Amino acid sequence: MHYLLRRLGFYLIAAWASLTLNFVIPRLAPGDPASAMFARFEGRVQPEAMEALRAAFGFTDAPLHQQYFTYLKHLLTGDLGLSYAYYPSRVSEVIGTGLVWTLGLAGCAVIISFAVGCLLGVFAAWNRGGWLDSVAAPAFAFLGAFPYFWLAMLALYLFGFGLGWFPLRHAYSHDLEPGLSFTFAADVVRHAVLPAASIVVATLGGWMLGMRNTMVATLGTDTLRLAHAKGLPPRQVMFRYAARNALLPNVTSFGMALGFVLSGSLLTEIVFSYPGTGYLLILAVRNQDYPLMQGLFLVITLAVLAANFAVDMLCLWLDPRTRAHA
Amino acid sequence: MKPALLLVPVLVLVVVLLVACTSSSSEPRPRQPGTLFVSVEQQSAWVRNFNPLFTGAGARWPTRAGVYECMEVFLPSSGEWTPWLATAHTWSEDHRTLRFTLREGVRWSDGRPFTAEDVAYTFELLEKHPALDSGGAWRFLEEVRAEGTHAVAFRFSRVYIPGFSELAHQPIVPRHVWEKVADPVTFTNPEPVGTGPFTQVNVFRNQVYEMGRNPHYWQPGKPAVSALRFLAFPTNDQANLALVEGEVDWAGNFVPAVDRTFVSKDPEHHSRWFPLYGSTVFLYPNTTRPPFNDVRVRKALSMALDRERLVDIAMYGYTRPADATALNDSYTGWRDAEAANGAWVRHDEEAANRLMDEAGLARGPDGLRRMPDGQPLELELEVVGGWSDWVRAGQVLVRDLRKLGIQAHLKTYEFSAWYARLQKGEFQLAIAWSLDGPTPYTFYKWLLSPRTVRPVGEVAAANWHRFGDVEADALLTRFETESSPEKQKELMAGVQRRFSELAPAIPLFPNPSWGEASTRRFTGFPDARNPYARLSPHAEPDSLLVLTRLAPREP
Repeated sequence: MHYLLRRLGFYLIAAWASLTLNFVIPRLAPGDPASAMFARFEGRVQPEAMEALRAAFGFTDAPLHQQYFTYLKHLLTGDLGLSYAYYPSRVSEVIGTGLVWTLGLAGCAVIISFAVGCLLGVFAAWNRGGWLDSVAAPAFAFLGAFPYFWLAMLALYLFGFGLGWFPLRHAYSHDLEPGLSFTFAADVVRHAVLPAASIVVATLGGWMLGMRNTMVATLGTDTLRLAHAKGLPPRQVMFRYAARNALLPNVTSFGMALGFVLSGSLLTEIVFSYPGTGYLLILAVRNQDYPLMQGLFLVITLAVLAANFAVDMLCLWLDPRTRAHA
Repeated sequence: MKPALLLVPVLVLVVVLLVACTSSSSEPRPRQPGTLFVSVEQQSAWVRNFNPLFTGAGARWPTRAGVYECMEVFLPSSGEWTPWLATAHTWSEDHRTLRFTLREGVRWSDGRPFTAEDVAYTFELLEKHPALDSGGAWRFLEEVRAEGTHAVAFRFSRVYIPGFSELAHQPIVPRHVWEKVADPVTFTNPEPVGTGPFTQVNVFRNQVYEMGRNPHYWQPGKPAVSALRFLAFPTNDQANLALVEGEVDWAGNFVPAVDRTFVSKDPEHHSRWFPLYGSTVFLYPNTTRPPFNDVRVRKALSMALDRERLVDIAMYGYTRPADATALNDSYTGWRDAEAANGAWVRHDEEAANRLMDEAGLARGPDGLRRMPDGQPLELELEVVGGWSDWVRAGQVLVRDLRKLGIQAHLKTYEFSAWYARLQKGEFQLAIAWSLDGPTPYTFYKWLLSPRTVRPVGEVAAANWHRFGDVEADALLTRFETESSPEKQKELMAGVQRRFSELAPAIPLFPNPSWGEASTRRFTGFPDARNPYARLSPHAEPDSLLVLTRLAPREP
């Protein structure tokens, strides 16, 4: 229990620190949002309106610390403010349009990638020197070196445009009414295959190698030798003894990965016109949309922290040693 | 956790893929006939906003000209105004009062009649909320009064003829709806009530929205298109793909090598029209810094440029080199032949070198030019990193300037950094756009009127090169109060000659107004032979003309 509280305290401090950075970093960037917005009109709006625009967005010359406290106060009440780029829509509403899709797509992709990668790693280590170990592992590591979006573009061109197996864009067909029907679910899956696959292929190698390497080390330990000597069935030794122990480092990095997919899948989303948060983030940066940026960073921060906390709990359960230390 | 649990996602994956593959065999559903697919804005997800008054907001297209309408519509191809919600306008003797006569029988989409009260109320809103007044109407207005149900009088605080276009192009909102709105600036107007051809929001989801017909539209039998549908494409590439594939009927995107990638795919139906109605792109020299305060240097730089090559390389040959008036083709009727003939925009290396020598920027022994104080002349040309056409243009320009003996470097910035430097006048050379209006008045005012010059370090909305000429300004000021078209033209010719003489900024090329259309399902798009409006859907409010003219092709 004490351990839990300590971890919680740590996460609270980490959350505060990142929220503060969230506030400071956008304000260090050059330029100001009203001009950025004005520039998008490239002369279609008379320059006289600029003053009024500034007033409408409520830009204050209040000292930074004062702005900081209003920012914290608003965060606590869940008020993320109005987006500049999508003015006058609320930031929460803007983020709401994409969050579910990003979480769904990136979350599933990472879980699949983690599961498949770890399994392959286990088998590769078990049959060391086999084809899985000597061919598949380096091949996936090679693919992992490509950026997500490059693989995404390749997949889009080959399987979407060239062969026409999968849709080219969006999370579901525009003429379908979203709902809890089989047609709609199948449609969503069909649309998710290419983007998810490009993320999975790009990240699989990392999990596989990580798993394989710790597994090889674990297989050399005395515990495992004893298990073998006791005459336990190989399958049981492989999964229950070797894999369970070797999984720990991968689980820790899984927490990190789960958080980063929110921002990392952004280019994949753009390639497939996926209605996620990735494009919002780019747009927010381009338009100096501080409220939207802060909102998105807040979501990403909270996701990373929550995932890490969950992983901490998982490790606690998976590894008795951490419990002993606590 | 049993590691065997890892098998669960794998099994799920297999099942899911099976489902996906079986459903992929299903035929694509047929499109609703009469639904026009348009690609104007680039977004990854749509946010519901139909507020026509606040231009700072990203209202969904066609809010400002489609859901709502203005009183008269300007046509750049003819330079004429088309009556719309107003049938006529008259100026008073002293040109201090402008009266619009409103069309009879126009109704809002909720069935209520459209009256002069609505027009007066719309302008009252602009007065009460300056953020809504994007055209700055209340800088020259004194009072707006409804005279009866179908006439509105605008009383001006001073004689200001160019103000007409601000008033005529203002989208008009219904009083009975907007007087109940607490804050019209932050109002997202989710269920718009307008006079335009498309007012009903049939579908609104993150990836798609659809606008249906106004049941009470004032033009009988129109619009012939039953609905407009908008798919979300985050960037040009996705929108262009949908256009080439034939999913989108009408778009306003930049398409590289359009004739090969789009038109040739279906020459019978695919068409594009890129008239040069866009803003003119300039090479701006910061005239507060030597040597750009010397007109000879500015002209020398201009003559060193090979604009033909520039247009081919940077713009795929979609445009032409700018002439010495820098005007785009929507101002054709205003162009003064004498001013346009200025030699300083023609490629002439010899003359350029001569001018540089005359200006005291002689070449050193290494062939590089030096400032009079002996410092080598090193220039930085600033462009936005991601804008590939301008980056290519910058590369061509830098090469041309080097031939002139100038050590020029191309520097790319992220947009907001570039824009901040531009606005504050903290650059040497920069490529940027210019401002436009129905007459060249706005264009030149922001190129050479001292009234638009801000000190270096202060943010300027335009006139980034910070140049002012009293003589040109006198002509512009007289233009503001001149109502006779002949006299207006004369004054504007004077301004153009002044511009050509002083070369305050170096014009490169006018931007095309991008428009692509597929006539497979719809007919009636404007083109070079029938230029009743600009094809680009970005061109507001002429999109109103297109939306009411389009018709589904007979099956």
